Amino acid sequence: MPDISDDFRLVPSVNKCKGALLKHSWLAIAAACIASIGAHSAQAQGNYEIQVYGAETQAPRTTMVELHSNYTADGQKQFIDGVDPTNHAEHETIEITQGLNDWSEVGFYIFTSEQSGSGIQWVGDHIRPRVRVPERWRWPVGVSLSMEVGYQRAFFSQDTWTWEIRPIVDKTVGRWYFAVNPALERTWHGPDVNLGVGFSPAAKFSYDFTRQISGGLEYYADYGSISNIASLHNQQQQLFPAIDLNVSPKWEINFGVGIGPTAATDHWIVKGILGRRFDWGRKTSQ
Amino acid sequence: MKRLLPNPEQAGSPFACPTPSFSPNRRRLLRNAALAGSATLLSPILGSQSNFLLDSTAAPRPASPDFQIEIAEIDWELSPKKKIRTTAYNGQIPGKLLRLSEGRPVTIAITNKLDRAEIVHWHGQWIPPDVDGSMEEGSPMIPAGATSQVTFAPRPFGLHWYHTHTPAHRDLKLGLYSGQFGVLFVEPRTNPAPYDHEQFLVLHDWEPYFVSSDDGSEMVDYAAASINGRMLGHADPIRVKEGQRVLFHIVNASATEAHWLSLANHQFQIIALDGRPVPTQSKVDLLRLGPAERISAIVTMSSPGVWILGETRASFRNAGMGVVLEYANQTGKPQSPTETQLRWDYRLSGDSSPTAHAPDVTVPLVFTSRFKGHGALDRWMINGKSYPDTEPILLKQGLRHRLVFQNRSKDDHPVHLHRHAFELVSIRGAATSGIFKDVVIVEAESTVEADLVADNPGNTLFHCHQQDHMDSGFMTLFRYA
Repeated sequence: MPDISDDFRLVPSVNKCKGALLKHSWLAIAAACIASIGAHSAQAQGNYEIQVYGAETQAPRTTMVELHSNYTADGQKQFIDGVDPTNHAEHETIEITQGLNDWSEVGFYIFTSEQSGSGIQWVGDHIRPRVRVPERWRWPVGVSLSMEVGYQRAFFSQDTWTWEIRPIVDKTVGRWYFAVNPALERTWHGPDVNLGVGFSPAAKFSYDFTRQISGGLEYYADYGSISNIASLHNQQQQLFPAIDLNVSPKWEINFGVGIGPTAATDHWIVKGILGRRFDWGRKTSQ
Repeated sequence: MKRLLPNPEQAGSPFACPTPSFSPNRRRLLRNAALAGSATLLSPILGSQSNFLLDSTAAPRPASPDFQIEIAEIDWELSPKKKIRTTAYNGQIPGKLLRLSEGRPVTIAITNKLDRAEIVHWHGQWIPPDVDGSMEEGSPMIPAGATSQVTFAPRPFGLHWYHTHTPAHRDLKLGLYSGQFGVLFVEPRTNPAPYDHEQFLVLHDWEPYFVSSDDGSEMVDYAAASINGRMLGHADPIRVKEGQRVLFHIVNASATEAHWLSLANHQFQIIALDGRPVPTQSKVDLLRLGPAERISAIVTMSSPGVWILGETRASFRNAGMGVVLEYANQTGKPQSPTETQLRWDYRLSGDSSPTAHAPDVTVPLVFTSRFKGHGALDRWMINGKSYPDTEPILLKQGLRHRLVFQNRSKDDHPVHLHRHAFELVSIRGAATSGIFKDVVIVEAESTVEADLVADNPGNTLFHCHQQDHMDSGFMTLFRYA
């Protein structure tokens, strides 16, 4: 079992996509199948919302409600510094995002975890205001900036108060979509408070096979402190082959299987996002 | 000769006309008739421009133009804080109001000061294809730096407009994204309804940009909007008096956007659609105008105050789509239209009874799209093919053709037929009659039927009037057999 640096304790680090899945159901079954063929090594990671953010914000008078369901098929199996292991943990996160105007939104998260013998546990809450460069500025790429602040219980993360700033750049060209999120994280309360700013980039590219089906690759990483980049061994690196189903403007569906090749990463994670957009008082033509 | 010289000061205000006025100048007619013979003799030596001298009728051909239009780049102030550079007619937005008399030949000289070829389409006019202003029909383009003349006998009467007919594709400075549009009003012989005051309003959207979405294809959105070239709050108010009947002539010159207009506490009595009088002058709270559609409607000024006549949707109004209407001796903050459910039904202006005529020929026109990526425009098709690969539709002169517009896409389409008007027969299966138009919005996943009597031989272009759709193949030619 490799050592785990403090940098990689459970932090409900938040990456974006969109969607949700029902607990245990087919997701767990799929995950169990994958786990059966996966490697057996695990590290802790806060896989509560696994999503690469796009630059677009919710339109005003619309609310997006998402359920993020992540099942760690093969993860950290040991208690480390009192932190619950992730192996076979199912994380359910409710995200509610309200569009404020054509350049800003605010999101709110409720993180939960369920593991055998522990039942459903409340993990913590985050709030995430986000601003973007309005499309009417006609920039060649989409640009936005997310700030996320939140609390998580020490049982799930020794760093109980954290802050994240996430620049977002994306671009759609024909059938191709690209997004990059070079996120920076800071602990406000917990053992990592003196470690400075951590670097946790995420990126995504996808291809539109049809109007409804897009598929691609998502990348999530945690390189540790920007002033003291961790060794590859201790970095978190995850690749998610993922698909997006664009079945309706009101729905967002994303599904992916994550592979963590480094020792500090959960090796197999299955994630799903199910989102429903609600319009409040927006007039539609008839 | 009326010269259309730049007059930004005048252009900035809504086109107000206390009384309709146009008196045919008999002396000019006689002079033009005398010169017509010599013009015919000269035509062989006029080179490529001679095409523009093809008259639509056997009427005398004027030797000098009645109007001049100059196409050039201009800097334009939508508001003190919003200045744009665009292409426009005669240095103003919209271009000069052209008031013409039905049947009286008019000659218009067009000077293209751009470094690219341009063309001007006389939208809604039943004129020959070589002067209609569409390359697809055979009208010649005006080369860069050249001046051409076009002569035609305006018909039918009513509210029409003139505008560029060039494609834009991904260059959002071109085509109808620019300021190349103006009102063409052909005086009716008799007014369909009495009124005290006439007001022309031309809607347009500015600063376009492409947006892509996860669940659709790329589309065009806008950062600004205007009525008569000014954003809301930056034009002189329309000044009215209580009890007046104001006839609004409204043209939607937007490249892609349908607009919903309302005026709180007032109703619009629709008297004409696309310039054609309607059989039922119904009163409505809300007007919908698809790109290229026109509505003439009377509002009785019965609620003193200061109001905004503008987009019902706040987002468009905030972008500038509105104009202040001010009653005499009234002050205060202009009151916005009340946001309401957006409902529109052409049939309110028609006869509810089905048309009495059975069609001689049925012409199905099925609209579909091909997905090219969330970051690309869809490719649009009529009967399975995109222009220029679309099959021409053959018309038989004198016969009644029932055009069956079947929109199988998820977008609304304001489809336009050049050089003709069609009579609406049914909308989503509900019968109507008596409404003659040249543009009709075929809503997403719906069917509209319209009858076309083939009475104006020559190539006739049919297309979606959304610039991005027509640029992506949503066009076909009707040919006379």
